[in-house]
This record gives sequence, C-alpha cells and structure tokens, in this order.
Amino acid sequence: MAANKPRTTSFSRNFSAASSTAPHAPGLKHGPNGTMFLSSGILDLDKILGGGFALGSLVMVMEDPEAPHHMLLLRNFMSQGLVHHQPLIYASSAKDPRGFLGTLPNPMVSKDDKSRVHETEQEKGLRIAWQYKKYFGEHNSESQKDGKSEYCSNFDLRKPLERHFFSGQRIDCVSLKESADLATFQEHCSSFLSQTPRDNGNIAGGRIAIQSLCSPQCEFSNKEWEMLSFIRSLKSLVRLSNAVAVLTFAPSLVSTAFSKRLQHLADTLVSVKAIPDEDKELAKLLTGYQDMVGLLSVHKVARINTQVPAILEATTFSMKLQKRRSLILECLNQAPVDGSSGASYASSGSCSGSSKTGALDF
Amino acid sequence: MAEWICRTLRDGGLEGEHAPALTINDTISCPLGSFVFDHILSQLSSFIFCQKSQSNGIVLVALSRSPLYYEQLLKSKGFDVVTSSTWFKILDCCTDPLGWRSKLVDSGSIRNLSSGSSLTVNICKNVKNLDELFSSIIELGKELSGDGKGRFTVAIDSVSSLLRHTSVSSVAALLSNLRSHDIVSSLFWLLHLDMHETRATAALEYMSSMKATIEPIIQSVDGPRGNSENLSLMEQNLRRGKFCVRVKRRNGRVRMMFEELSVEKSGIKFTPLSSEDEMTAQSLVPKVQFNLQLSEKERNDRAKVVLPFEHQGNGKTIQIYDGRKSLNDDKAEPQHTSVPKVDSNRGEIIYFRDSDDEMPDSDEDPDDDLDI
Repeated sequence: MAANKPRTTSFSRNFSAASSTAPHAPGLKHGPNGTMFLSSGILDLDKILGGGFALGSLVMVMEDPEAPHHMLLLRNFMSQGLVHHQPLIYASSAKDPRGFLGTLPNPMVSKDDKSRVHETEQEKGLRIAWQYKKYFGEHNSESQKDGKSEYCSNFDLRKPLERHFFSGQRIDCVSLKESADLATFQEHCSSFLSQTPRDNGNIAGGRIAIQSLCSPQCEFSNKEWEMLSFIRSLKSLVRLSNAVAVLTFAPSLVSTAFSKRLQHLADTLVSVKAIPDEDKELAKLLTGYQDMVGLLSVHKVARINTQVPAILEATTFSMKLQKRRSLILECLNQAPVDGSSGASYASSGSCSGSSKTGALDF
Repeated sequence: MAEWICRTLRDGGLEGEHAPALTINDTISCPLGSFVFDHILSQLSSFIFCQKSQSNGIVLVALSRSPLYYEQLLKSKGFDVVTSSTWFKILDCCTDPLGWRSKLVDSGSIRNLSSGSSLTVNICKNVKNLDELFSSIIELGKELSGDGKGRFTVAIDSVSSLLRHTSVSSVAALLSNLRSHDIVSSLFWLLHLDMHETRATAALEYMSSMKATIEPIIQSVDGPRGNSENLSLMEQNLRRGKFCVRVKRRNGRVRMMFEELSVEKSGIKFTPLSSEDEMTAQSLVPKVQFNLQLSEKERNDRAKVVLPFEHQGNGKTIQIYDGRKSLNDDKAEPQHTSVPKVDSNRGEIIYFRDSDDEMPDSDEDPDDDLDI
C-alpha cells in the first residue's frame, strides 16, 4: 500500500487509515505493533513502560505489607480513568469500597503546576560526578493547554477528585468481603465490560482495579487455585474487551509457588517496596532520601503482538512525593559503592526512562 | 521504644483512619511475650486511669490466662480492683471457651461456673463464632463509656489460642473489623510465632501497624542439645531478650527500633541496645559499579604494572620493555638495545631503535665549520 509521504526506504510500516488521525478518545494512544495504550495516571510510569498500559493487558502490583504505596498507584490509575470518562470497576475487601473513591486525586490545575524544578545541590564537590545525569533529564515542557485532551494528567494528591468527574460515569464498586468465592465477581466484570459501547470501532478502554486480592479477611484467600483461575479468566476477559486490569496482591500472604504463578500470569509486573525510616546508611547511599517514600521496581513490561522483550535501562525507581502533591518516579542516584563486594548489576542507574520505540524502518 | 509503643497506642487513631494495631511476637527460644503484654497492659491502664489517653477503657479478651490472673496483675500495679470495672472489662474466653463446662452444669455434674475473680467478667461460651465475639467486644466497649460513644482499647491475650479454634481468615476479618470500627481506639495482641504456619503469621502481620518481636540475644547454635553451655544460654534467654519493633508509618516508611529487655522480680525493664544491628540498606538498592576509590590491593597492583615505555620512571637503567619480563626480573647487565631472548618455541622480535642510528651530538651547531 503506497503511502503518500516520501519515503526514505522501500519498506515502511503500513498503518491503517484510522491511525493516521489521532485516536478518537483522548485517553488512548497508539503504540507499537498495533497496540493501544491508556495512561497509568503517573507520567513517569508511562514513560518507563513505553507509553502506558497496553489495552488488553493485566497489570499486577506486588505490594509490600508494610507500606501503602500500591494505593497510590491504584488511585492515580482510577482517577485517570475518570478524567477520561472510561468505565471503571473497583473491588476491594473493605465493607464499603465507595469510600475509597473519596481519596482519588484531582488533576492539577494549571496555575499550580510549575515545571519540575531541579533543585541544585547545595553541596558541590566531587559528588557531582555521579549525579550529573539527573540534570540531563528530559525537560518536558508540555504545557497543559486543556486538561481534558491530554493523555496523562498530573495529579495533585492533596485534592480530592471533583464531583463532576463522577457524574454520568460508569463506576462500579464491589466489596469482596462477604463473597465466598470469586465467581460472582467474575460475572459482574464480564457483564460490566460487555456493556462498554463499541460503535465505529470506538474503544473507550475500560479499567478494572482490584485492590489486595489475597487479603486474609476474604474467605477465598486460602483457595489458591480458585483465585488463579479467576485471574486467568480475568486476563482473557480483559484481552477480549480491550480493557486494562490492575490487580494488587501481597506476595507474602500466599505460598511461594502460587506467588510465582501469579507473577507469570501478569503482562506487566511491578512491585513496590517500603524503605526504612531515618536510616543513616540509606541516606548516605541515595540522594533525595528525605523525599523518598518508597521504591518501585518494574519486573516485566507487557509486549503484545511481538516477541521482542522490553529491556529497561533501569528497573528500580524511587517514589517521591514532589511538594507532597504529585508522585514522581526517579532513577536512583546512588553513591559509588565498593564494587569489589558482591555482584554488580549491569545497570549504572542511568536515567533514560523510555525504552526505544522508534519505527522499524528498513 | 516500649514507651513509644505505649504512647502510640494511647494516642489511638485519627478520625476516619484505622486504629493502630500492635502484634507482640515471641518464640519458644525467648518466650517473654506475655511479660511484654502485661507491661503494655499495665502502662495503658495507668494512662487510662489518669485519663490521659484517647480511649476510655480497655476490653481484654482473655483466652490463655484466666481473669484471676489479671485481677492479681492489677492489684500488683496498685489499681483498685473494685472500681476498675468502670474502665476495665474482661471477656472471659478462658473458663469455658467451647461451652463444655456449661453443658456439665446443665447436666448437674458440676456446681457452678465461676471464674473465681471479683472482676466483672462476661463469659464467652463459643469462641468459634467470631462474629459473636466481635459483637460482645463492641458491646462491652460501649458499656465502658456512658453514652456509648467513647473509644476504647482492645487487648487480645493470645491470638494463638484463637487460631486454635478458628481459621486465619476469620481471625483476620475480626481484627480488621475491630481496627476499622469507629469506637475502637487501638488494639494489641499476643502471638506465639512458632505455633503457626508462616502464612498465618504473615496474615496477622499484614493486619497490624506495629510489630514487636522478641528475639533471643544470643542465638544458640544447636538447639536441642543439652550441654551445659547451651543450658545456661537457654536460661539467659528466659530472662533477657532483644526487643525489635517495626512500625508502619503514615508516609509509607518503616521505622525500626531495637531495645534490650530483661525480666526481673520487680518487673520488666527496657534498656537501649548495646550493639546496633546492621541495617540491610544495601540489599534494597541495586549495586552500582562506579567506584572512584582504590582499595589497598588495587593500589599495590597499580604500582606493579609495567608500563610499555623505555623509562619506567624509577631511576633504573633504561631497559626496553619487550613484554616478556617484568621489572622485578632485572638482569644484571643493562642492555641498550633489545636483544630478545631467543626461545625456540616462540617468534622473535628484532627491534633496532631508530635513535641508534643517530650518533650522539650529531646535531651540533652546523655553523661551527664556518670560519669567520
């Protein structure tokens, strides 16, 4: 199929006509290999994952029982869905899951949002050598022209989501507390997603958020095979209806074999970890320790329609709350460690967030 | 640090937040958990008695020790037992947890069902029904404050005993219901770690916001062997232990604190730890090989490297480095041209320095032969 624009090579990617225009919904973006992405709600995470969460993928977050960071990820994910008018199901083991909706953050108003200021280090000296990459960072000067039409909003964690985002939305909150098994919830999900309008190939992109699936209060928490089969059917459901499901679970609450199986089921696997408080050694090892709230590691990135794995330059990031408002993920700036002790990782903690997604033109 | 925990429990939880929950863990190698439990109970009692705390009273769910024991404990701490019923209530699950004794009373075999304690107690006859237990706890708590609106602290004597009768998920559900209830200000419980599977203990740690573990100070290597050294070690572990606390803070960080505890006749004492534990900070971040300092060994190796130049800069006679000898094997006769060792197995390098062609002083002033 001939393309109209002049080509430098004889091969070119054959995009269908629909892709030459912007995708219909503001919340979706085209990705490589014919996939579409929707935003996770966290700018840095979208960059790290190469665009966002792929439609049809199952994202799993491994929790640390000692820290509530998985809630931050879930909140941003859910808020982003509401901002883009994408249908949302939220399930948790609380008696009244609707209460969680009150904690969702609001997109930052443009006058509050200043571009990220890289604070100059107070201490000059030889430490700059290994910190210089921080200053090279992409100076993204995307000015938010109209909040509605941008792909990923910057969320202000201090402000609750405004009422108008909730109205007219398809939001379902399900409590898993009293359920003896997951069958009812599974039916609920499939009926919810089948109602997603799909006229003119207009995919809205549904979102499913399940918090702490293996929490011990639920009766089904010791029925591991049932949970596994539920997640498998969830995965196929999500793939068929072009939705994204984010599921969090704590690996320490389930047996190791089961935890491994769960990890293999995930398309995108991320884990969050708590950091010790007032730890002098860690403060010496990492800059910005004072602002850090936790660590986020990316173990697997969803690759749909391709066999090529995504190899990230850095897999561990620090989670920081900038001005206590917005969540940012940064590469770790580490002090030099005595290389003779222990195995070294290939990564040098360099700060390029995005994996290369250039077009494969031959 | 025990003071810190008591203060946190005393202050309770904020509005709309889950109540702080402490789990006290111990093992057979250092079974001092019940002492710590008693200590915290008495500290909180004194706070509540002086009305310095958020909660109005304590509801104690006694599963492994009888109410008589607690009556004696209160007496020993100087509280008046008679008036204590305004702020201290016991749910007695120890006398008749499964209702067998009341069946015997019904059938006339035994006379009465008293626990022998003068404290007002409510007897729970069916420990297996945790919903009922939950409602009894809440009812008792409401009785503690006049209008039923004040908050109270819940103490569970031993969750290990609860786990004997019911499943982990129902116990976890009970604890989470208690934590999320409006009128519960804080709660704490005792758990014996080695009596349960790791999943059960992990589930209970998941439910708690603070975890206090009592570990032996000196780990004995061969447990069951009964030689004299081990026995004295074990005896020591019955009196002293290491008190490690992990606190989940609101900002998502974990605070770790360590103390040494010792049990004496007068009570329990907490002292700061003599030797600090090594933090495992290095295991959290990936290792980076970017070292600007040289270690001693590396410095020595660097000094030994033979540079491929003529002058090695150390004042020795000039010797061409031909790659086969190190500096240490200096021959006695200096050589100005390289005469490589002829090795029948190896190739030869015959090298004549270009500078040898030049006679010394050949570039003297060419104007010298001018006769002027």
